[in-house]
Amino acid sequence: MDAASNAFRDSLLAGQSAVAAGRQAWVNRLRAEALERANALAVPTVRDEDWRFTDLSPLYRVAFRAADTYVPQAAQLAPWIVPEAGARLVFVDGRFAPSLSALPTADTPLFAAPLATGIERHGPVVEARLGQIAGFQQDLFVALNTAYLQDGAMLVAAAHQKVAEPVHVLFVSTQKDVAVHPRVLVIAESGAELTLVEDYVTLHDGAYCVNAVTEITVAPNALVHHVKLQRDSKAAYHVATGTVRLERDGRYRSNSIALGARISRQNLNVVQAGPNTECHLDGLALIAGRQLADTHSFIDHALPHGTSRQLHKCVAGGGAHAVFNGRVLVRPDAQQTDSAQQNRNLLLSDKAHVDTKPQLEIFADDVKCAHGATVGQLEAEEVFYLRSRGLDDTAARNLLTYAFAADIVNRIPLPSLAAQLRATVLEQTGAKELA
Amino acid sequence: MSAVLQNLIDQPYKHGFVTDIESDTVARGLNEDVIRLISHKKNEPDWLLDFRLQAYRHWLTMSEPAWPNVHYPKIDFQAISYYSAPKPKKKLASMDEVDPELLRTFEKLGVPMHEQAALAGVAVDVIFDSVSVTTTYKKKLADVGVIFCSFSEAVQEHPELVRKYLGSVVPPADNFYAALNSAVFTDGSFCFIPKGVKCPMELSTYFRINTQESGQFERTLIVAEEGASVSYLEGCTAPQFDTNQLHAAVVELVALDRADIKYSTVQNWYAGDANGVGGIYNFVTKRGLCKGESSRISWTQVETGSAITWKYPSCVLLGDNSVGEFYSVALTNHKQQADTGTKMVHVGKNTRSTIISKGISAGESNNSYRGLVKIGPKAEGARNFSQCDSMLIGDRCGANTFPYIEVKNNTAKVEHEATTSKIGEDQLFYFASRGIGNEEAVSMIINGFVKDVFTQLPMEFAVEAGRLLGLKLEGSVG
Repeated sequence: MDAASNAFRDSLLAGQSAVAAGRQAWVNRLRAEALERANALAVPTVRDEDWRFTDLSPLYRVAFRAADTYVPQAAQLAPWIVPEAGARLVFVDGRFAPSLSALPTADTPLFAAPLATGIERHGPVVEARLGQIAGFQQDLFVALNTAYLQDGAMLVAAAHQKVAEPVHVLFVSTQKDVAVHPRVLVIAESGAELTLVEDYVTLHDGAYCVNAVTEITVAPNALVHHVKLQRDSKAAYHVATGTVRLERDGRYRSNSIALGARISRQNLNVVQAGPNTECHLDGLALIAGRQLADTHSFIDHALPHGTSRQLHKCVAGGGAHAVFNGRVLVRPDAQQTDSAQQNRNLLLSDKAHVDTKPQLEIFADDVKCAHGATVGQLEAEEVFYLRSRGLDDTAARNLLTYAFAADIVNRIPLPSLAAQLRATVLEQTGAKELA
Repeated sequence: MSAVLQNLIDQPYKHGFVTDIESDTVARGLNEDVIRLISHKKNEPDWLLDFRLQAYRHWLTMSEPAWPNVHYPKIDFQAISYYSAPKPKKKLASMDEVDPELLRTFEKLGVPMHEQAALAGVAVDVIFDSVSVTTTYKKKLADVGVIFCSFSEAVQEHPELVRKYLGSVVPPADNFYAALNSAVFTDGSFCFIPKGVKCPMELSTYFRINTQESGQFERTLIVAEEGASVSYLEGCTAPQFDTNQLHAAVVELVALDRADIKYSTVQNWYAGDANGVGGIYNFVTKRGLCKGESSRISWTQVETGSAITWKYPSCVLLGDNSVGEFYSVALTNHKQQADTGTKMVHVGKNTRSTIISKGISAGESNNSYRGLVKIGPKAEGARNFSQCDSMLIGDRCGANTFPYIEVKNNTAKVEHEATTSKIGEDQLFYFASRGIGNEEAVSMIINGFVKDVFTQLPMEFAVEAGRLLGLKLEGSVG
């Protein structure tokens, strides 16, 4: 490790307000272990295969400081409120803001609360999962997050209960040069159903760092629907790891939309730890200017009869850089696995570029696995068709770009959110005047 | 897995015999003196010795790459003998004076060393351990201006050509094994097709490793001038030893304006026994440079041998409108490991590349496709299509795909597809319902699977490759 990257880690560490020791010894132990790992792990550079295309060095130059206490007005959050949501947890610069949140009442089958409350109420359940699903042994960012584990959201859907209304977990950034480490823990008990909207927004345009970790456990026959929206400022750094553990017949659906951040990195790991599990991962990165959006997904088919479907799209305009690495592993026991992965990349300008690596590793013979990747610009024939219908060149291109991106947005099961995002996509793709 | 399939894969290696011939082998170990000795034995000019020494000095600063998906014990580079040659009786005047023991060896391997006995229209350069033994049809080729000879001969007779192109595609410091090869390479083939000449026959080099503790480090250089075209074949075998031998070759192709080079390999080095003991480590750097506009380089490979195959025949598409192609069948069985694929680097405008890779894994083997398609910022209108299919035979083998796609130009179009499958019960049942037995059905399915690649091979090779595949897989399905 060179001196510069050491400095980065020290700056991140220095920028943290001290985390008081908790009441639970195991939490303190977990943090201490993670801190020890964070100190031992090297800061990733482009020489690491996993970070080959994503140069984090601009992040290493930010001097972080501890966040001031500030609570925005409820009106300031209005643009992001999801009306369908049954519960809302708002975190301002990493801290839970009870005045802006709306927690479910005690009699509902849903438990949604700050992590601290969750640890008190569901101690053993949390202990068995927190820090166990997303391992921090090999990942500096997960280790840092675990070491500074303070506030976070915890959701539990009780066994055999379908929680119809989604839970909105909103992380708001209000000040620059602050590093936050949000944490989300989702527990879907057997046969339960739950929808989580994990949302990152900002009230300013400055640089800050989000280092999020989301752990999701899906018990037998449960279903978790996970919508992740990354709408950070265009100067921000967003590193997020989502790890999902599926037990027998468990299902997981994810819609992950990345619009913001100067540099964003999303790790999404799904472990199919039981037979006959299913996951659908849809992703969209819509970036321009000097943005970089990196998505690394890993689907681990460990047991038989697993299904996975993945569609990841990137639209890169300006001098943007999209990265996709989709790893699918089929272990020797995972017979009858059915996996399909698609990565589609659209380059809108001559300065934009994309690096993609779909990766299949198969150790079982009775499987059906396919992946595909394409990189290109809009089809000349399609543009021509729209022009023949009277649209000018720009309008035709914008419309096609919008359609390309909206395909993913339309898969979000919340109508208001999908509409809101369609509007954003319209604006970003310049297709607005057509709407 | 049925008994039929099991038999199919368990064919013994037919080329595993050792020729008892007196060799001139340099003591094991590597240092500057050994390099000087090799250079001296080959009576090389000073610039070539400098080339070697510089490569060696650079090699010392490099570390062995650890990224490939293959596993092997650390190679002791001091335990290898870097030069081994059959002892020359005297300077050979004609084929009749070749050591009869050698002749018998190649007869056994089915490689024609006598022109009259040769396959019609194939010129052969035969390389035994470190040196070239003979080259056939030299005169006929010289009549049209084609130079086809061993590398050492080219160094003596055409030093200006060798000096101009050696290391121009694979620089000595390119990678660990290329640097090692540049320091110690002993022989290889050199081929030069002058402007406008279509080479009248297929050119071919046959490689044979015979000595147990020697490594083989050969170097092939093919240059096709403006408008020239050539088809080149390469075949390899080695005797059966229970130790591993290192084969680290470098192949460089240069295609100038409108030139066309087709390079085909049927690789059948000894793969080790069923328990993975012995076999060749095949760590090869192959790269073609489409230097001129509208040039074309096509790689076709059938990889069936070697304990470990680790190579990426690549094309650098520098000239506008140049074309790169890669067709590959990689078959692994028992404990073989393969990490192979290609790199297509698009630099010029309207460059096109096609990648068709078929991997078949059986037994406990591990077969990886690793490829890079890189579109540079100036490669307007570049186009790539890649297809990588894997077939798994048995439940203890692995098939992996690691395609890297890096696009820096928005007018480029890149497509990549990969699938993995096995020979389905339903397919076998369908054949059975038509009265075709399991073994034949499997062979037909596999033939269909690899057809896209085999059609690219020159006729004689296609027949040989088909037979080889059948032999290797005999008994592995069912």
